[in-house]
Amino acid sequence: MSEKSKTLPKELQLVASAHVKYIQSLDTRKDEYEYWLTEHLRLNGLYWGLTALHLLGHPEALPRTETIDFVLSCQHENGGFGAAPGHDAHMLSTVSAVQILAMIDAFDDLEARGKGKAQVGKYIANLQNRQTGTFAGDEWGEEDTRFLYGAFNALSLLGLLDLVDVDKAVDHVVACANFDGGYGVSPGAESHAGQIFTCVAALTIAGRKNLVDADRLGKWLSERQIAGGGLNGRPEKKEDVCYSWWVLSSLEMIGKTHWIDRDQLIAFILRCQDPENGGISDRPGDMVDVWHTLFGLTGLSLLEYPGLEPVDEVYCLPKSTTERILGK
Amino acid sequence: MADQGGSAHGIARTSRVRTEEQRKVELDKIAKYRELEDQVRSGVARGDTSPGLFQLTSKLLRLNPEYYTVWNVRRRLLTSGLLSKSSAASSPLTVSLTASPTATTTPPSAALSSSSLSATQPSPASPTAGRSGTTADSPAGEGKVSAADATPEAAAAAGQKKDFDVLKSELEFTIPLLLDSPKCYWIWSYRLWLLQQVIDRLSVSMARRVWQEELGLASKMLTRDRRNFHAWGYRRHVVAQLESPRLGGESMVEAEFEYTTRMIRMDLSNFSAWHSRSKLIPRLLDERGADDSTRKGFLDEELGLIREALNVGPEDQSLWYYHQFLILNLVNPVGHPTLTPAFSLEDRVTYVTREIQDIKELLEDYDDVKLIYEALLEYTLYLGQLQGRKLDGAEKDELAEWLQKLKKLDPMRNGRWTELERECGLVEMEAFET
Amino acid sequence: MDSLGDTLWDVVICGTGLQQSLLALSLSRSSKSILHIDPNNYYGGADAAFSLQEAESWASSIAAGTDNDRGTFKSASTTKPDGNTGLSFPRAYSLALSPQLIHARSKLLSQLVSSRAYRQVEFLAVGSFFIFKPSTSSGQKPSLVRIPSTREDVFSTTAIPTKAKRGLMKFLKFVLNYDSEQRLATWQPYADGPLTDFLQWEFKMDAELQTYILTLTLSLDGLITTRDGLSTIYRHLTSMGVFGPGFAAVYPKWGGISEIAQVACRAGAVGGAVYMLATGIQEIETSGDNIELRLTSGDKVKTRLLVRNDENAEVGNGVSRLAAVVGSPLKPLFEALVEGAPLPAVAVISFPAGSLLTTAGKAYGYPVYVFAHSSDTGECPVGQSVLYLTTLTTPDSKEILTQSLQLLSEVIDADHLPPSLFQLYHEHGRGSVASRPDGSTFNFPDASLSLLFDDSTLEPVHEAWKQVMGETAVDTDYMTFPDREGIMDVEDMYD
Repeated sequence: MSEKSKTLPKELQLVASAHVKYIQSLDTRKDEYEYWLTEHLRLNGLYWGLTALHLLGHPEALPRTETIDFVLSCQHENGGFGAAPGHDAHMLSTVSAVQILAMIDAFDDLEARGKGKAQVGKYIANLQNRQTGTFAGDEWGEEDTRFLYGAFNALSLLGLLDLVDVDKAVDHVVACANFDGGYGVSPGAESHAGQIFTCVAALTIAGRKNLVDADRLGKWLSERQIAGGGLNGRPEKKEDVCYSWWVLSSLEMIGKTHWIDRDQLIAFILRCQDPENGGISDRPGDMVDVWHTLFGLTGLSLLEYPGLEPVDEVYCLPKSTTERILGK
Repeated sequence: MADQGGSAHGIARTSRVRTEEQRKVELDKIAKYRELEDQVRSGVARGDTSPGLFQLTSKLLRLNPEYYTVWNVRRRLLTSGLLSKSSAASSPLTVSLTASPTATTTPPSAALSSSSLSATQPSPASPTAGRSGTTADSPAGEGKVSAADATPEAAAAAGQKKDFDVLKSELEFTIPLLLDSPKCYWIWSYRLWLLQQVIDRLSVSMARRVWQEELGLASKMLTRDRRNFHAWGYRRHVVAQLESPRLGGESMVEAEFEYTTRMIRMDLSNFSAWHSRSKLIPRLLDERGADDSTRKGFLDEELGLIREALNVGPEDQSLWYYHQFLILNLVNPVGHPTLTPAFSLEDRVTYVTREIQDIKELLEDYDDVKLIYEALLEYTLYLGQLQGRKLDGAEKDELAEWLQKLKKLDPMRNGRWTELERECGLVEMEAFET
Repeated sequence: MDSLGDTLWDVVICGTGLQQSLLALSLSRSSKSILHIDPNNYYGGADAAFSLQEAESWASSIAAGTDNDRGTFKSASTTKPDGNTGLSFPRAYSLALSPQLIHARSKLLSQLVSSRAYRQVEFLAVGSFFIFKPSTSSGQKPSLVRIPSTREDVFSTTAIPTKAKRGLMKFLKFVLNYDSEQRLATWQPYADGPLTDFLQWEFKMDAELQTYILTLTLSLDGLITTRDGLSTIYRHLTSMGVFGPGFAAVYPKWGGISEIAQVACRAGAVGGAVYMLATGIQEIETSGDNIELRLTSGDKVKTRLLVRNDENAEVGNGVSRLAAVVGSPLKPLFEALVEGAPLPAVAVISFPAGSLLTTAGKAYGYPVYVFAHSSDTGECPVGQSVLYLTTLTTPDSKEILTQSLQLLSEVIDADHLPPSLFQLYHEHGRGSVASRPDGSTFNFPDASLSLLFDDSTLEPVHEAWKQVMGETAVDTDYMTFPDREGIMDVEDMYD
């Protein structure tokens, strides 16, 4: 932790080393039933934990070689990745795999020991619905703007965005826009902060951020901050740490982060820490998990909380990673 | 990267100290779970397509409905044996399941052609899948097709009946899981896949009956959680299918509009219902063949409804968003579906002016509700834009006053108010004067 | 078993009213020896529920002065206005002497849950509250107006002008945190005055809106103080939706509070308490630290503590009640108004003060409250209903109740007046209101006359429990028990 943050009052301190230990402990919990019930999220979990460690300035806290080995062990012939060995390939785990490999600079290993970048790109590109432009999560056809964003994220990291029909996809995102400036999971669906992130980020990757109604969206997003400082994901809903990412990253992309109260949000996120055992929960006093831990940290990073590495608001990766790969 | 299950929401933090006894119980539970998992995996690896394996997946999914790979195993078991092979749809398919408000106008051929995606897709993605060698002696065929079904028509009918039974029982299987985990994407997605099979494999009347029941499920889920956006999305999809020619349907826009009214009357804060309403209105008016005066009357009614709602709930964002939807229709007809295309500029100005007046009146009783000031600010700016003029001195004074109020009532968003102050030229003016 | 006299009882509880019964429940998992007696041959004391036959014999024992209730009840009588026709067999009825509604947020319910006694009770939803509006000179027919008590209700009602709705909404919002410091300052000056003054001066409510609010408190004299009124309405509002959409209060099936008393006694019996009905106390003698009792059964028993109703109660002016069985399901009163809401079994109708005229032509100065019970309560057969009318006892009260019943029948369906099959009238005196520990005797106050279950009733029970348990009392254990073995967790099924 940086010297600067140590001068903060106790309740405003990030228990960084506890968070590192918490994340490191995640793969040692094989004597807990929950560990086995969440195997379908193993690769995603690795991505969440590893990103959090990078932001905390401890990229080495998980061993690199074993990480690469595990990621590659989840890959299928068709290029896609499953959540763990023996799990079917899916867009979500494939994107996580690409993000992990990007973060630890291991695309070469994918090339040498895995099925190669091109095959991954092909897997993702084949999930595009060429008629509507959107993407399915796997061969069974569930479609959602989450998958579209995931595809853009991974393909652009791989430098293979030209494999898909970007314009069609952009058209689809635009069709998901609502009068309130937000975006839904599909055309006709209600605006939702998570979906707004995926849509605005997808448009940003496509270089079409001009299609966002930034003023109206900014208003909607800024109203997500409620008494207590936390952010909710939709009107009249409860606050939740994960929206510190979905809402804040979207505000950042449209240049309106200053439309909410930074200090109150920081205080809310920090109140959700488990100060003894590390980890961050959805709301103060609840069970922590790695997912909320990451999004608490990315939120703090966007708010320039001292001692955290800057996060890329579009890719949800350390800025150092996207700068290295995309030259941003 | 995106939102999904597995995260702990709203579960109180407890110190997880287990007694030795509890640890043993948990280890035992893990061993049983993993054994079951092994059985399923090895069954799949062997190419087992028996009802035994199918039942094991039921058991496993009841323990862990998030296990998407097992849902896929189940799909493959169905398409490779348990369901009849006669249907054209038995190829591994990826059909668009996206609910689209335009679905009713999509010709059936377009809906079919979306399965062209499957052609570009390498057949079954998983290394453990791709067994296609099952034939009529697969378990589901047992005793179902008798000699009496010898004619092709009879065989097809018998096949349909069998598929109907299988799919119905599958749909029933997911219900308790859904009630238990209403936000689990995988269950919803599996259910939608089943329903797609219903369309592809059953006669229109049979399929329609099944889909009709889905509407009941969607309502039930929304009674339990009025804002569950999975359930709202699901409802939109079910309605779009029921309306589609493939199910011999016709428009349900009136009934759905009525449904949003009921949901709103039950809970004014149900933004999901207001949202759905906003999406239905343009279609509703088109299908009613509404003329200009009907449209005006409709707008008046909606404004009346939301005004009454704001009268009792001015601190409710949901209501203001809907009000904004109606106002945008007046001030920004381009880029938004407009309800009243025949409105002249004068009409629009009159309406917006009246709304501003009404909102000002709310301040008499609710002078500490910040959303009222936000609306006044926004609509006053709209009015200026609409008339293509600069705001006059009195208006600017009002804006300044409202912004001061907002800064006091809503300091969280001071960054926004300060920026707005600058944009409206309120800060510069002061600077010039001093 | 040894004879009663051989045991030194830890406690003898006399009476099976709610408080005594809850005490038995609270002690049911202790190792205390408990003798529970009741001079009546039925459970529930002043909260009892009667079959028609029991009601008739109870009424005649009151009239003859041979009852066990020390003059608590007066002027009891039963009639069958429309003859014997239409009535089912006597045990098909269960008429509650003192029906009370229980707010979902009442401590009674949380105690029944934590003590696991709730599993034996079936709770029914209390639906709408209505106001009776008399006919006007302009020819307006009398009608029932539903009181809106949620924002959605206020939004939908056409009975209140738009601007008046804001006053109502502001009040409802005010109540939701009326005990915050800022709000306290607003109502403190009115605290001990009538609630209606506060409504008029702070929320500019007209007389009619005031009546709406007042009815939610079921205040018998209509003069509830601002302090009590706010707390009652607070509980009403925060109870809304707790057990399901659209209702704030519940009523126990098969006779209300008496059902809870019986369930509590049953728990006492399962826990080893000895039960004797129709057994009262003839004589009390103190011997050292203990008490010796001679029972009406002839037994002599010794106990460390005696818990009973206060024998020194001053009986004051109380309430008059008319329970009427009518031959109609009164369907319009029992509608579920919210999607997903259970069908209510109870409706409340208020005749506001001043809306009724005495035979002398004077405006009657107190409200009359009616609880309408559908056959779902199990208190009457399908196709019939029970109406419970209550008002403060005055020289006019009996006549006023009869008149209210008539008006109510007319307003529901003037063309098909439902036959009035059976009526039980009685007056219930006001007894002592405070518990009185007195050496080795613990006196409970008399049963509350309130129409809403009052949580303060529970405090004396807790006090008595502490006295029985002595040093072994651990407050956090009070009324908190695990399920007895073999009982499935039904809570999960209602998720």
